[in-house]
Amino acid sequence: MHGSGAEISREVFWNILGPGFPTEQVLLYVLVVIAFLLFFHGLAKSGFFTRMKAVTSAKGPDVERVNNAWDRFWYMVVDVFGHRKILREPYQGVFHLFIFWGFIALVITTAVVFLQADVIWPIWHVWFMEGNFYLGLSLFADVFGLVAIVGILMAMARRYFMKPTWLDEKGEDKVILWFILAILVTGFVVEALRIQATETDPASPMNPYIWFSPVGRTVAFLFSGMSMDALRDTHVVLWWTHVLGALGFIVFIAYSKLLHIVMTPVNIFLRPDTAQPPIKVMPPEMFENAETFGIHNLEEYSWKDLFDTEACMRCGRCVEVCPAFNTDKPLMPRDVIQNIRTYMENKAKFALDADGNYHIIPDEEYTGPALIGDGIEKDTIWACTTCMACVEACPAYILQFPKLIDLRRYMVMMESDFPAEVMDVFKGMENNSNPWSIGAHTRADWAKGLDVPLLSEKGEAEYLFYVGCAGAFDDLNKKVAVSLAKIFKAAGLDFAILGTEEGCCGDSAKKIGNEYVYQALAMANIETFKAYNVSKIITMCPHGYTVLKHDYKELGGSFQVFHYTEILDKLIKQGKITLKQPIENLGAITYHDSCYLGRYNKIYDQPRDILKALKSGSLVEMKSNHAKSFCCGAGGGRMWMEEDLGTRINQKRTQEAEASGAKTICTACPFCYTMLSDGIKELELSEKLQAFDIAQLVAKAAGLDQKTNNSGNEDEQEAAN
Amino acid sequence: MNTVVCIKQVPDTETLIKVQGAGIVTEGIKWVMNPYDEFAVEEALQQKEKMKAGAVAIVSLGPDRAIEAIRTGLAMGADTAVHINDAAYYDKADPYATAAALAAAVKGLQYDAIFLGKQAIDDDAAQVPAMLAEMLGIPAVTMVIKFEVAADKSTATVTREIEGGQAVVEVPLPAVFSAQKGLNEPRYASLPGIMKAKKKPVDVKTAADLGVSDGPKTVVKEMTLPPARQAGKVIGGDDAAAKAKELARILHEEVKIV
Repeated sequence: MHGSGAEISREVFWNILGPGFPTEQVLLYVLVVIAFLLFFHGLAKSGFFTRMKAVTSAKGPDVERVNNAWDRFWYMVVDVFGHRKILREPYQGVFHLFIFWGFIALVITTAVVFLQADVIWPIWHVWFMEGNFYLGLSLFADVFGLVAIVGILMAMARRYFMKPTWLDEKGEDKVILWFILAILVTGFVVEALRIQATETDPASPMNPYIWFSPVGRTVAFLFSGMSMDALRDTHVVLWWTHVLGALGFIVFIAYSKLLHIVMTPVNIFLRPDTAQPPIKVMPPEMFENAETFGIHNLEEYSWKDLFDTEACMRCGRCVEVCPAFNTDKPLMPRDVIQNIRTYMENKAKFALDADGNYHIIPDEEYTGPALIGDGIEKDTIWACTTCMACVEACPAYILQFPKLIDLRRYMVMMESDFPAEVMDVFKGMENNSNPWSIGAHTRADWAKGLDVPLLSEKGEAEYLFYVGCAGAFDDLNKKVAVSLAKIFKAAGLDFAILGTEEGCCGDSAKKIGNEYVYQALAMANIETFKAYNVSKIITMCPHGYTVLKHDYKELGGSFQVFHYTEILDKLIKQGKITLKQPIENLGAITYHDSCYLGRYNKIYDQPRDILKALKSGSLVEMKSNHAKSFCCGAGGGRMWMEEDLGTRINQKRTQEAEASGAKTICTACPFCYTMLSDGIKELELSEKLQAFDIAQLVAKAAGLDQKTNNSGNEDEQEAAN
Repeated sequence: MNTVVCIKQVPDTETLIKVQGAGIVTEGIKWVMNPYDEFAVEEALQQKEKMKAGAVAIVSLGPDRAIEAIRTGLAMGADTAVHINDAAYYDKADPYATAAALAAAVKGLQYDAIFLGKQAIDDDAAQVPAMLAEMLGIPAVTMVIKFEVAADKSTATVTREIEGGQAVVEVPLPAVFSAQKGLNEPRYASLPGIMKAKKKPVDVKTAADLGVSDGPKTVVKEMTLPPARQAGKVIGGDDAAAKAKELARILHEEVKIV
């Protein structure tokens, strides 16, 4: 008899064990062993070990994954137990937290009972599960069991009533919630039957403490009319049902997305260095000796690329935030990961020879669906704006969109397979160092008459103002370059531009997948920067900012790079620019976070601080802001491609701005500025909405007359007045 | 099918052109393959791919720098090249001298068809395809927008662009064809193509090697740029009638068109 002696406690295995040899107890442990054996059998059956062979046989280069192991471990612990990333989305975050902690608490309780009844009592005859400890444990298990049920019900409400479009609905998804709910409910019913049978009698020593099992006690009222025999019979049946359910759950983990319980924490431990842009580095030497570039088959993947597909449990958060998905384009980041997994399964299946030995079969012999085209459609590959919302949203630290860049690299560099309109972009970059294909000799024309110092004349300057192609060639964004030059001059900043010596930063080429052209452009810039001993660079465009700051390092160019909002914010706070004239008619201002400034570089505050310092209009936020900002649609080379699938991303974002009640949209990125200006025109919202780059407003508020140059700024004057 | 493609390296359409005497300043110019020649290269490659046999040879007359355009053609997929690298000859070459040099180089090659761009975008002469055909004693079909060759390679059925329409022409091979925009979409050289192009054979010849001595028939005496475009003028003011009056005055007195 377990627990004999203690009054404030309970008998473990009450009503289960018969007299004499504890057959039932032994049976329970035999079942537990069988469950674990079935779990491993399930892993084998569901192809887990085959997939792991594919993962461990992968040959593609990967980065350091276990450096700072202790930091990585603690990061994982905080992330898993604290739900740091999962709680980004409050509703699903909370229900996952409830289920998770319910699960943890019940595992802890079960472990304590096991230690007491099957280890400590048989060996030392000590019963610690009594008194206050027992009552606390009882309350703990009851409360967390209830929390888990609430979590499950919330999840069910989402799945069956809210039905978000991005939620996956596979066979297992229909079963899992009901399965867990059944285990939890039978647990409480078993408890209630025992309480009704043993604690409701006022003579029972436990009777005064009966409410320490609040849920069990409440449920017990349902059984108050039952006879002792009926209570006992029902209890036995449900007890075994509960046990078999719980053990079945362990087996089910192996076959289902529940395996994320194991795989996701591992992937969090292995997470990428978040200080780096997520796209794979291609060392320049590759172009000398490699024979293939990018990825088009299993062999080219790194082990971590493939491992990512194991950590994905199809939660769909990446789909929820994807601008392509949200405008009806055929891209769901989750499905990209899942399709790579299916492709791996197909190829690993083929690759297993008769002895069960794994070998990668050559493409010529592989007859399953190909990765590019079959597994992942080409329209999917080109739909991505590289906005990084998927990576930011993923609680499992999977890199979704970078896997599309891998495929683009293969398509572009190996097959010359890309949307037709991109041809001119590449040629423009190659021949005139800008995607607009405008003569390179006109790169400094925007600055004519402004007396902007040239580095070639000045010799040296504290800051190089790297204007970028948009500021130099695009009529709309030339105005921003002009504003910035005027502000820098007025603030007495020691700066200069490169003029026609400046080249395209190469970001669009890189994100379209043409690393070869990107590196040629980047190397040319790095050489020029070095020739002038440049150390500090201000960029106008967040795309140039990102590649100059992070990616150029890989090519030997380390510079201190600032986005202009960082500089303007500092100049304003230091009092070097005085915003003396409030700007009229701005109304409520909303700031559109550029993906490359925000998610890529975590610059969220400086642009907003600048807008607040204008003291013109109030600042309102759109529904999607900061790290959850919604892309304008131009990143990833999409600026240069036709958007003929689904609806237009820039219009969706413009509508969000309109819904925020703002009258003025402020941007800090030339692509965003273009896309949102176009959005206003396309939606015929010019009466209600206007778009400006922050630099234009600062110039205006600082009283820097826009008319003293000849690059056609009259529009802006009209618009800003 | 074996084809020869004659290409020319020209300044990029967007590059800054400065006239100096009877020529242009070549420094600072971005040089590219003549865009119409890209159609010619592409067509030759497509024919080779369609027939699954044959080779594509590039022939170009130009100084050292022309090798870049030749490599571009090789990167797109051409197999071999002849570079007539003779600066003295090239500097004076008019369309006649160019055609003579190309004809001499082509004579040493195997071909069923010769493709060229319909004209080079620098001097816009558009004479070389026809002259080349004449010198080789074979037919020429210009302004080609569609090209099909018979299975036995004896004839080609070609669609030409004519004023306001199209004409379909049948011609015995070998023949010279000049490519017009619309013939195809030239491919973007793949990275392996670029790598391979570096190792493909380029036969470098001088005019003397080819035995061409018949000099140019024309000499450029002078070159001028079109006049710079005048800046636009905005007529200011709020009174529409006054603005209209001012516009009429300018059109009448300053521009003198009404």
